[in-house]
Parts: sequence; C-alpha cells; structure tokens
Amino acid sequence: MADKVSQRFERAAWRVEDALIAAKELLPKGLYRSPPPWMGYIFILPGLLLVSFLFVGMFILGFYSFLTHDPFEFIIYEFTLENWERLLGTTGYYNIFVRTIFMALLITAISVVLALPYAYLTIRVRSSLVRKLLLVSLFVPFFTGVIVRAYGWLIILGRNGLVNSFLGLFGIEPVRFIGTQLGVVIGLLQIMIPFAIIMIAPAIQNIDRSLERAASNLGANRVSTFRHIIIPLSLPGIAGATIVVFTITSATYAIPALIGGGQVDFVANLIYRTLFDIANWPLAATFSITLVLVSSIVVLFVFQVIGTGTLGVDTGENDE
Amino acid sequence: MNRLFRFTRQLPGEYPLLSILIAFQVVFLMLPTLIVLVVSFQAGDLVRFPPDDFSLQWYAQIPGEDRFISAFYRSIAVALFCTLLAIPIGILTGLGLIRYDIRFEKPLQIYFLLPFTVPLVVSGVILLIILGELGYIGSLWTVGLALTIINIPFMIWSVTSRVNALDPELENAAKNLGADEIQTFINVTLPSLMPGVITGSLIMFVLGLNEFIVSLIITTPDIVTLPVLIYTAIRSNISPLIAAIASVYVFVAFAAVLVADRLVGLEQFLKS
Repeated sequence: MADKVSQRFERAAWRVEDALIAAKELLPKGLYRSPPPWMGYIFILPGLLLVSFLFVGMFILGFYSFLTHDPFEFIIYEFTLENWERLLGTTGYYNIFVRTIFMALLITAISVVLALPYAYLTIRVRSSLVRKLLLVSLFVPFFTGVIVRAYGWLIILGRNGLVNSFLGLFGIEPVRFIGTQLGVVIGLLQIMIPFAIIMIAPAIQNIDRSLERAASNLGANRVSTFRHIIIPLSLPGIAGATIVVFTITSATYAIPALIGGGQVDFVANLIYRTLFDIANWPLAATFSITLVLVSSIVVLFVFQVIGTGTLGVDTGENDE
Repeated sequence: MNRLFRFTRQLPGEYPLLSILIAFQVVFLMLPTLIVLVVSFQAGDLVRFPPDDFSLQWYAQIPGEDRFISAFYRSIAVALFCTLLAIPIGILTGLGLIRYDIRFEKPLQIYFLLPFTVPLVVSGVILLIILGELGYIGSLWTVGLALTIINIPFMIWSVTSRVNALDPELENAAKNLGADEIQTFINVTLPSLMPGVITGSLIMFVLGLNEFIVSLIITTPDIVTLPVLIYTAIRSNISPLIAAIASVYVFVAFAAVLVADRLVGLEQFLKS
C-alpha cells in the first residue's frame, strides 16, 4: 500500500519536473544555458520588494512626522513642525527617551558581560552533557517568546510570587519588583542574554585553542588568559552583541508594559499610547523616526569603535 | 587575585568558578519558562508557592475556551504563511546575491538586514500606516506578510550560508552527465540547500508563532493572534488557566529545540 502511494507520488513528481522542463524550453536558450548577469537581479527582486515595505516606510514615516493631527479629521495633509516642537519641548517625552537609552545601555553592558563566560564555557567545556544543558537553556527561552516569559516573571516577582514566598520563609518583608526599574531590568536581561550569547559564540568558536595553551604555558593564569586572549579576540562578537542587544532593548514594549506596569515606560510604550490612546499618528511617526535615529547613532558609534563584527553577512568572497 | 586563583585550583571540575556563575545563569534563563509549567499544573485558582496540590483541571478547561483556541489557529496560520512565503524568497535571494555578479552588493546586504535594524515597534508603525492607507487592516494575511517582512533575514542568512558551502562544480558535473538545468536544480542544488532552508523555516515558524509587538499594532480584535490575546488576558489577571494556555509555547519551544538538535545540531547555531 505504502509502496503504491510512494510510486504514485514519484510519478507525480516526474510529471511536475517534465512540465517545468517543457516550460523552460519555451524560454530563449541563452537564458538558462549561460544565465546573463541580470538574472541575479530578477532572483533578488522578490526579497527587495518585501524589504521595500520598511525602506519606503521609513520615508513615509518622515513624511508623516510633518503632517497635522486633528482630533476629528484624524490626519490633515498639511505640513507643520508641531510634532517635532512637541517632542523637543515636552519634558515627559524627553525623560522617556533618556530612560530608554540609559536602560538599554545598562542592559547591553550587563548582558555582554554575562554572555561572554556563558558562550566561552559552552564552546570549551569537555563534557558533552554539560554543553547540551547549556545549549538547551539558551535556546528554550529564545523560542518561548516574550509574552510567556514576561508572564513567568510576573509569577516569580509578584507580591505573592516565588521570590517573595521564599523571602517570607525567613520573615523578610515582601520586596516590590512589579512597577520598578529593577523588575524591568531583570525581565529584560533574561530576554537579551540569549541574543548576546548567540552573537558572541561564533567569535569564540574562531579563537585558536593553541593560543590559550601558549598563554598558560607562558605562566598566565585563567583570569589573565581571559583578559588578554579571549576578550580581545572575541571583540567582533562583542560588537555584534552590543548592536543587537541595544537595538532590541531600546525598542522593547512587552516587558516595560507588563513588569513595569506603566511606571517604567520605554519609547515603544509611548509610541503605542500615542497611536491608540490619542490616535495621533503624526506624533507617533515622529517618535518612531527619533527612535531609529538615536539607535542608529549608537550603532554607528559601535561600528566606528569595534567594527561590524559578526553582523556582517559572509558572502564567501573575503578569501579572494 | 593570586589567592583567589589558588583557591579556584582546589575546587573540583574544569572551570570551577566559571561553572558556578553559569549555573546561576542557567537557572535565571530557564526559571520564567519553567514556572509557567509549574503554575499550569496547580490545583487552586490562586497562584501561590509552594502550590497546595497538583491537578490537570486547567488543561481540562482549555477545550471550552473558544477565543483562545481560534487565536491559536490564527497564530499557526500566520506562522505557516510567513514560513512558506519566506522559503522561495530566501532561496532566490541567496542564489542571486552569491551566484551572480551584482553591483552594489555591500549596500544590498545592508538593505536585506533592514528588518533587523529597524526596531520592531517602528516596523509595526510603518506597516500600520501602509496597510491603513491601502485599507487592508483587519485581514489575517497582512499579519502573515508582516511576519515575513520582519523575519526574512533569518531565512536569507541560513540559505546564504548553504549557497556558500555548495561547490558549483557539483552542478556542472550533473550537467556534464546529461542532466537538464531543471533536473540539476531539483536533484543537486535544492537538496544541498535543504539544511539551510530547514533551519530558516524552523526559526521563522517558531518566531512567527511567538511574534507579539507588530501583531499587537496591526491586528484588530477579531483577528488577534495568541500572544496578543495572552497579553491582554494577563493584564487583567494571572489565573492558572492562562498558564495552561501559555504552556503550549513552552512545549513548542522544547519541541523546536529537540528538532533543531536532531536535524542540524544546536552547536551549528553558534557558528558564524
């Protein structure tokens, strides 16, 4: 029975292949015998179009940031500087931007520091069982999604949560995490550390082990080997991790919304409220453009200082 | 410092101090995921520690939760949509970028990374404006399209690495032995790109299933996906029922890690 099905499937596959070949024969011969260079552009066209939503979208955002908002008409296509003046002139908005950048920098720094030893041990540990455990604890959270993990943190950090129940055993007063910066930092770190590890690991993978052995033969202990060999050689990975973690953190929404409980708003929360609570799309576009500008400046700064690192796409043409 | 170093040498194991630090990190990384599972098996309707008793009653209630079940189907639908759309686009882009001599190759690579560099919330605003102007807000396929746009670099990335690894001489050999161009593509090129396609598909599917912020911005109440619905639900209360529903994601995550490990090996994800 199964044989028959697979036979039939095979025959169908042959027929599709024949039809494709017949269709191909209709094209001019040169096209497939020796593909002209412009075929490459046709190949990348669908991808180009797909990403053009965002590319064109950036210009549309810029355009929108100069439009007039009207509570009744929604958007009036009249140019104004009002949105930009509002952004620059409102202390509340300014504070949210400063908080976002500051927290993103803090979380980037801690994530990179914690990710380095994690990535190092994952790659260098001899026991394959330990390596598996480290890989699983890295990828399971990565694939669990932000919302479920934020929910987990609410259960852990809540007033009657895991941490406070544990502290209660020792008669310690409940600590407030929900609605505090500390709670948001904890939640964000758990999301960002896996990203940092994934970006740093390839750089450590590329470090020649004999360098470490040479250092230790020359009398360096583990700490100074780490400082003088591992850290400098994993700089490309650190650059990649810094950029990825900073960009994602500065645009984060779910953790400040759920763990921060409206007390520790990031720019993303501000954008969302502007879009849906006061339905001011031009102002939301202004915030969005500013967020992109600010994070691009940080990214360019990192590029300047440490280079593109593991972020650059390897086209395999570097060895020519 | 020296004393610390001497002390660490007396501890057992290869990297004693490092191992202690990493053990803490493992707990830190896994705890929020695992706690959802623990709470979902709890008997009482108040979340407390340690749980009084364990039961499956919350799982038994899931079949009656129509709103969550239809949101779950929608999430599966958009994740499948974005994966299936990304496969041909990823293969074509990978082949085009590497096999052909394309001008402005460096700027194009940066262009294809745009979905990663534009913050997700900003992508959400852009898509809301574009889809709003076109009048498409409120259709489920727009969510699938949005997911394809924001996650396509994962597919391009993993396919590109396979195109790099594929020796063009292999295809030439097939052609010299009389294979037609289409036959060569189906029997030689595609199979060797498959590992990259599978990795990319796995990442895109799981991320699509989990995607939150862009979906939050562009969905209307009658097409909400599961993460958005869970988010609205936990803002009002954190009943163990939500934990039972959310545990679907924990199972999916473990399954994805298992599949990824079997198919390509988790270590591969840590190579550049």
